[in-house]
Amino acid sequence: MVNRRQFLSLTAATGVGVLLPACHKQSAPVLPVKDANGHYLWQNWSGSEHAYPSQRVAPNNIDELKQVIASAPTPIRCIGAGHSFNGQCTTDGTLLALDNFSGLVGHNNLEYLATVKAGTRLQQLGKLLEDVGQDMVNIPDVNKQTLAGAIATGTHGSGHGLPALHGRVQSFRLLTLQGQEMNCSASENAEIYHAALVGLGAFGIVTEYTLENWPLAHTERQVTMLPLEQMLTEWPAQYAKNRNAEFFYIPFTGLAMRILHNQTDKAVTARGEDKDMESLMDLKKLRDYVSWSPSLRRRVANMVADNHGTEYAVDYGWKLLASERSVRFHEMEYHLPLDAQLDALKEVIAVIETQRPDVFFPIEARVIKGDDRAWLSPFYQRDTGSIAVHAYYEDDYKFLYELVEPILKKHGGRPHWGKLHSLTEKDFVQLYPQWQQVKAIRQQLDPQGKLVNPYLKRVWGV
Amino acid sequence: MKKLRLTLVCAVPLLLLLTACGSKPALAPVTLTEQQNKLFQQSCQTCHANAASPAPQMGDIKAWEKRVEKGLPVLVQNAMQGFNAMPAGGMCTICTPDDFEAMIRYMATAQTKTK
Repeated sequence: MVNRRQFLSLTAATGVGVLLPACHKQSAPVLPVKDANGHYLWQNWSGSEHAYPSQRVAPNNIDELKQVIASAPTPIRCIGAGHSFNGQCTTDGTLLALDNFSGLVGHNNLEYLATVKAGTRLQQLGKLLEDVGQDMVNIPDVNKQTLAGAIATGTHGSGHGLPALHGRVQSFRLLTLQGQEMNCSASENAEIYHAALVGLGAFGIVTEYTLENWPLAHTERQVTMLPLEQMLTEWPAQYAKNRNAEFFYIPFTGLAMRILHNQTDKAVTARGEDKDMESLMDLKKLRDYVSWSPSLRRRVANMVADNHGTEYAVDYGWKLLASERSVRFHEMEYHLPLDAQLDALKEVIAVIETQRPDVFFPIEARVIKGDDRAWLSPFYQRDTGSIAVHAYYEDDYKFLYELVEPILKKHGGRPHWGKLHSLTEKDFVQLYPQWQQVKAIRQQLDPQGKLVNPYLKRVWGV
Repeated sequence: MKKLRLTLVCAVPLLLLLTACGSKPALAPVTLTEQQNKLFQQSCQTCHANAASPAPQMGDIKAWEKRVEKGLPVLVQNAMQGFNAMPAGGMCTICTPDDFEAMIRYMATAQTKTK
């Protein structure tokens, strides 16, 4: 992003070290680590959701897993890595971790298939695949999630010709609440495959996936700072000619950071130390010190960005596509018809820059190829442009619902299943043509609602 | 003589107290159980054995010293509730307070063996 030392010195040089009162800081309640029943606190990654589950289990094998679903307190929620920003993992019943269902089951390098256990973390998966000569060229920006959590929520990377993770799932193995194991693919239990692939952990317990990967090859990463207007003008051409294209707009600066990834024959060039998070905290300082003067804020940022140039790195894709995200935040992301993306983005920027000077987290824009495999895919039957807006974990994030979400809804957006949104079943019926069929299949597989928590009751309308 | 003894009796505990105040806090090393070692590999090491992460790294005595000064109960509470960049529970769903305590000791004292 920006050169940290320059940024700090320039900020100091402005001579305006007046720390504004932290009026947008949200005082998070201090939660007891144990409740009256002796159950320990659980919180999601961002800290926005919490619960005191009566049981936490990590079964070692399929027989133990069958015992859990037969007798554990409900609701039973598969936790993944707990990275979802909304309440889908929250439960006072059973938190089910598939941490012991991790690793590679097998692979086939004729078709570049790999069967992977559901609890495998994306961070580990890259190395496992590298060892067998395969790669996933469209992994998300954050790689702390489990494979099952990422797929069940429609998690994605960016690429005009690349579907989200679930778009490369050939089949998966589902353990139903009745204790039956079934393979699901486009040719076997097809309706369940289409309904439960992006299934929010509400159809049964998925224990493994067979992924369609790519041959292992080097990827080149290019990161460039440029004016927002130029970025917006060039965006359609950029995503059309690059394998993975995305950009971040830095609020109140007029600057965008473009990130491109393409296959290359070049030798490995180290990515170097990741300074993104330090730069992010510098943006916070800039917010803290000069948010009273948007013009000064913009001038300081532009002075620094002038010297940025383009950064290059070459390595395997899994090492470059994801970045260390060690600063916690809240996030809302919607997936819009591709043609609506830039108009919506301009509206979002305008509303933030006129009403919320406290926002400093970059706004992210990505593209995702439409798919037909998952009926609840936010990319179902349409090429998509996504917009993600973030708020620092200590800051008030109600503006995401009050200011940002109405714009994204108005442009026909579908919310990311793992992120913040206020939608209910009434909305989803309109957004997903197969909604009623999916709901009926879910009801058949979980007639007692053992997998449904309060958040999912709102989603499913039950 | 009696006065001298009284002075010594008073002075020795005081000196011991001052010495204690001046010394750096230390944690006794711990050996993780097989289960704790597994939990450590599945969760804690994602950030605490990852040079790209700003988290205090396993065995970095200097980085841990200032944290250990807060006391183990505070560190366990921070691990469970989240603290700055660290998410609540450190991405370990089934860790108990005893597990957190053992793993903090393990990282702060850089023990590597399992029982």
